[in-house]
Amino acid sequence: MQQNNNPALILLAALIPLALLAALVSGPVSIDLPAALAGGWHSEAGDAVILWQLRLPRALLAILVGGALGMGGAAMQGMLRNPLAEPALLGVSSGAALAAILLLYYGVAWQSGWLLPVLAIGGAFGAVACVWLLAGRGASASRLVLAGVAINAFLSALMALALNYAPSMFAMQEIVFWLLGSLANRGWDQLLLALPFILFGAVLLFCARNYLRALSLGEASAASLGFRGRRYPLLVLGGIAAAVGAAVAVAGTIGFVGLVVPHLVRPLVRQDPARLLWASALAGALLLLLADILVVNFVGAQELRIGAVTAFIGAPFFFWLIVSVRRGQAL
Amino acid sequence: MKTPTLQVSCRDLSLERRRTPVLREINCAFSPGELTAVVGPNGAGKSSLLETLAGVLAPASGHIELGDRDATAIPAAERARLCAYLPQSEAPAWSLCVADLVALGLLPWGRAADRPQRVAAALELVDATHLSGRAVTRLSGGELRRVQLARLLVGDAPLLIADEPTAALDIRHQLQLMHTFRNQADAGKTVVLALHDLSLAARFCDRILLLCDGRLAAQGAPQDVFTPALIGDVYGVSCEFRWRDGVADFVPLDLL
Repeated sequence: MQQNNNPALILLAALIPLALLAALVSGPVSIDLPAALAGGWHSEAGDAVILWQLRLPRALLAILVGGALGMGGAAMQGMLRNPLAEPALLGVSSGAALAAILLLYYGVAWQSGWLLPVLAIGGAFGAVACVWLLAGRGASASRLVLAGVAINAFLSALMALALNYAPSMFAMQEIVFWLLGSLANRGWDQLLLALPFILFGAVLLFCARNYLRALSLGEASAASLGFRGRRYPLLVLGGIAAAVGAAVAVAGTIGFVGLVVPHLVRPLVRQDPARLLWASALAGALLLLLADILVVNFVGAQELRIGAVTAFIGAPFFFWLIVSVRRGQAL
Repeated sequence: MKTPTLQVSCRDLSLERRRTPVLREINCAFSPGELTAVVGPNGAGKSSLLETLAGVLAPASGHIELGDRDATAIPAAERARLCAYLPQSEAPAWSLCVADLVALGLLPWGRAADRPQRVAAALELVDATHLSGRAVTRLSGGELRRVQLARLLVGDAPLLIADEPTAALDIRHQLQLMHTFRNQADAGKTVVLALHDLSLAARFCDRILLLCDGRLAAQGAPQDVFTPALIGDVYGVSCEFRWRDGVADFVPLDLL
């Protein structure tokens, strides 16, 4: 892999601070940004509180969650050698979601800001562990997918059951909104909770980067290049569970980012599955931040959920993908 | 490029796949400077033997010795530097460019400063320099096979294993490729190929391993193994070998 510092990647990285600035001035009330910045962290002035306690953590969370989803998608596609794979395929999202739903169901979720995300991360790890055990020793990519589909179907059935017997309309509404994904009302607590898990996941995936490279040749060739045994697939699965699980835990299930983003940036890294991890993290962060800017500037009776926005970005993407495949390009 | 050498031997090697034995008590040795062809009917265990030698599959019993060490005692990363392996079919998952795919063969050696030169040299060996910048998804079957061979040759591994490397190649590139493997062996490498083309095997290889039902039916020099009686036993066909100056024309005649 030649290290050509691609100008498009640098542009991508440079756009994130610009988008962050745009996010800080976006919102239902306009604030005096320089004064709020000068006021500092502890200032009790209205503008400073909006900036430091509401908009900044929310924008940083969008970057963090978007980065985790993009990176998780790239890792998933690399490990399964399949451009249509996404982290949800392994049950990470539904595991986290089911744990969150059960809490919302019993209405204890908001007693503590920490309880729901912590349990949701546990749910994500639990689901991935089930998939791993079900797939069995030395499982090939196709067996992992099959196990993921089975676990996902089971978790979806449990979620449907929970919705079916929701104790009140209020609880049901809360569950549905949580499933749509949102960054509203998130603060430093959620950011600080997700950060260590997402960084830990990134480190695990970094350790597995050459495994993903070797896998582009196939499983037997990767084994002959020295990437044998359970260690490497476990690194990737653990990395995805930590990063995506934490992202889902604090922001709900936000679809399409993990699926679409690696496709968009793959040409920028010469299709190298290892550099794709970082490129997808950058692009995912930017995409989710832009989507959230759209959400906060959207004026309507109801808050627009960010999961709905990413779905609207994701669906046309597939139309474009079909058109490009029909023109004879490889998927 | 320094050329370390490696003596390889198998003792009582057996392998099971899904609880079915596919290799039974194979005893054989591969020496530096020798080009060995593994031949036999479909399902005889050629690919299984090669995958076990390459460390992709773990034997059910028996030993493989690389040099004077037991292969199971060698860490995976180090073993990858000793042995380069090309499977029978290898479909790249992503549309990498040819030079990047060949460079993957250097992964066991970590970051190499002379990577571009090595990749260029390996591509030249397989007559694929002109393909260097092309996407692998836009190659023909034969071009892809040659590029994958460049991936095999790009490193320093003293043991080269290739499973049916000449399948999908035209006659010119078949001959060129066998010359390349012959040169690699002459330079001191241990080369093991699975082949279906018995004429090519007889002409280029020093030793033949004839497999049948997971057992070693015969091993030795081409003149000793390629006899109508043995081939008739193993493949169930009558045939003729016409030897001229060490080059054999293999002519299958009819089913037995």
